[in-house]
Amino acid sequence: MAKKSKIKAGGNSNVGGVDLAEVERLLAFMEKHGLEEFEYAGGGVQIRLKKPGVAAVAAPRVVLSAEPAYQATHAAPSSASHSRAPEPAVGADLHVIKSPIVGTYYGSPSPGADPFVTAGSKVEAGQVLCIIEAMKLMNEIESDVAGELVQIYAENGKPVEYGEPLFAIRASGKK
Amino acid sequence: MFRKILVANRGEIALRVLSACKELDIRTVAVYSEADRHALHVRFADEAICIGPPRSSDSYLNIPQVISAAEVANVDAIHPGYGFLSENANFAEVCEASHITFIGPSPEMIRMMGEKDRARVEMGAAGLPIIPGSDGAVPDEDAAKRVAAEIGLPVMIKAVDGGGGRGMRMVRTKRELIPAFQTARAEAQQAFGSPNVYMEKLIEHPRHIEFQVLGDKHGNVIHLGERECSLQRRHQKVLEESPSPVLDPGTRQRIGKQVVEALAKVGYSNAGTVEFLRDASGHLYFIEMNARIQVEHPVTEMVTQVDLVKAQIRIAAGEKLESAVGKFDFRGHAIECRINAEDPETFVPSPGRITAFRVPGGPGIRIDTFLHADAIVPPYYDSLVAKLIAHGRDRSEAIARMHGALDGFIVEGIKTTIPLHKRILAEPDFVAGKFDTHFLDRLTAKGKA
Repeated sequence: MAKKSKIKAGGNSNVGGVDLAEVERLLAFMEKHGLEEFEYAGGGVQIRLKKPGVAAVAAPRVVLSAEPAYQATHAAPSSASHSRAPEPAVGADLHVIKSPIVGTYYGSPSPGADPFVTAGSKVEAGQVLCIIEAMKLMNEIESDVAGELVQIYAENGKPVEYGEPLFAIRASGKK
Repeated sequence: MFRKILVANRGEIALRVLSACKELDIRTVAVYSEADRHALHVRFADEAICIGPPRSSDSYLNIPQVISAAEVANVDAIHPGYGFLSENANFAEVCEASHITFIGPSPEMIRMMGEKDRARVEMGAAGLPIIPGSDGAVPDEDAAKRVAAEIGLPVMIKAVDGGGGRGMRMVRTKRELIPAFQTARAEAQQAFGSPNVYMEKLIEHPRHIEFQVLGDKHGNVIHLGERECSLQRRHQKVLEESPSPVLDPGTRQRIGKQVVEALAKVGYSNAGTVEFLRDASGHLYFIEMNARIQVEHPVTEMVTQVDLVKAQIRIAAGEKLESAVGKFDFRGHAIECRINAEDPETFVPSPGRITAFRVPGGPGIRIDTFLHADAIVPPYYDSLVAKLIAHGRDRSEAIARMHGALDGFIVEGIKTTIPLHKRILAEPDFVAGKFDTHFLDRLTAKGKA
C-alpha cells in the first residue's frame, strides 16, 4: 500500500531551477515518515518523488515460455503493496531466517525505539530479532541459531510473505 | 463496488474468480502455497502473496495467514471459491470482524446449512419436502411398526450413533420389519455401544437433482433451474447436466417455487445449491444445501447465460438481484465432465508434469482449467484438474459436442479420467437418460477384470 502525502510549500523555493539541497531534505523527510511517493508544489515548482519498487501495474504479461514452469523464475506481477527482495545470494556458511507468517515487519519493539538487531550484532539462539504483525498481533520472531547477524533483508514497516528471507546469520556452530 | 478482492483458493476456481473480477474491473490478489509458486492463478492475479508450505492446513486452510494476507494487501473482500474455507462459518465471521466482505452467504446461513440435521429441520419447517423419517430413535417394536406404517415401506433402519454401513438394515416387507429392527439394534449395540436406531424412507433408484439459487441482501431470492448430478463414484460427482433429463416442467416449477420461498423465509443471500433425491415414482426429497458456489456451476451458466460468480460479487457489494443478475431464460442443454488427474480405471491419483496439452474448441465448448503445457499438478490437493462443458440446442447435440471435445482434449504427462468420460457417453443408458446414483459405481465395477 503506497502511502501518499501532498504538501504545498510556502514561497521560499528557487524560481525555475531545482534546489538539490531541497530535494535531499524531501528525501530525508520521506524516509523519516516511511513514504513511498511524495508530491510537492509551491512557488512555480512542482516536484514528485517516487521510490523504486512501487511500479505502476501495467497489465502483467504472462509468458508461458518453452522452459519448464518449475525452472522459470517466478514471473511475479509487480505488487504495489508488496515488493519482494530478490532471493539473496547466500554464502554456504550463512543461515537465512525466513518469515513463518504473512504480516508487516518491524525491526524495533516500538516506533522510535532502537532496533532489535543491526548488521554485525551477535545473536543467540532464541533471541528476538524482529516483530511481524499479523491480524493486530505482534509476533516475536526468534533466531534459531547463534552467530553474527550479517544482513537484514526486510524493510521496517513493509509487508512480508511466508518464506520471505528476513536475516542472514553467520552461524557460530553451536545452536 | 469492491476495489480489490483476494481469492482464497487455487486451481481452476481461483482462475474463474480472477476472470470475473477482471470483467468487473476489480484488482485481484492471489494467495498461494509454496507448491503453487508457478501456478497460473498466481501469475494472472495483480498481486500474489505466499501464505505457507504445500499442505492445505498450513496454507489455504490457514485462516490467520489468509486474513493477514488480505490485510497487508488492503483488500475489500475475499472470495473463498469452493472447498477450503468456503463453508467455514468461523472464517466468514473473522472476515466480518476484520472489515472484509466475505463473498458468500452470512455466517448464520453457512452454519445452518452446515449442520445437516438442523438444515433438514429448518428446510422442512420452511416448506420443503424432506425424507420421511422417525426424527429420532425408535424406542421399541410397537413404535417401529407405527413409524414404518407412517413412512411407508421400503424403509432403512440406521444406528443413531453409527456410520460405515454398520447397524443398517433394509426393510421391504412387513414380515422383515421386526427381525430387522432387532438385528439392527443388536449390531448397533455391538459396534457403537448404543442400541438406538432410527428409521428413514428408503429412496430406491435415487437420482440427485439440485437447484441453483441466488439471493440478494435485500430479501430477494431466485432459482436458475436444476442440475442433475446422479453420475457419482463413491459419492463424488463425475458428470453433471442441466436440465435434468427426467424432471417434468410441472415438478420443476413446483419445487423451484418451494425452494425460493423457503430460502426467502430463512433470509438466504448469495449463491447456494439445494440438493434433492428423486425416487422412482418422481417424488423429490430435500437432503442438504451447499451454501457456496459449486464446482458444476458452469452447467447453469451455459444454459442461462448468467455469470454466477459476477453475480456473487455484485450481490456481496449490495446490488439487488435485478441488477446483479438481470433477465435470463433457459436455452438448450449443457453437460459437464469433471476431469481428474487419476488413472481412469484404478482412480489412483496421477500428479506430475504436463508434457503435451491441447484444448478442444468450437461451438458450445467451454473449458475451466489451470493446466497448460509444462504445468505441474502437485500431489497435495484435490485431483480435479479440468472441467469440460458442452452446450447444445438439445441433449443429443450436447452429447455429440462432448464426444468431439473429449476426443480433441489432449493431456499427456499425467493420467486423466478422459477415457472414463468417453465410456460414460457411449453407454446406451446414459444416452437414454436412464440412470440413478448407482449407475457409475456399477459401470466402473463392470470394467474390472
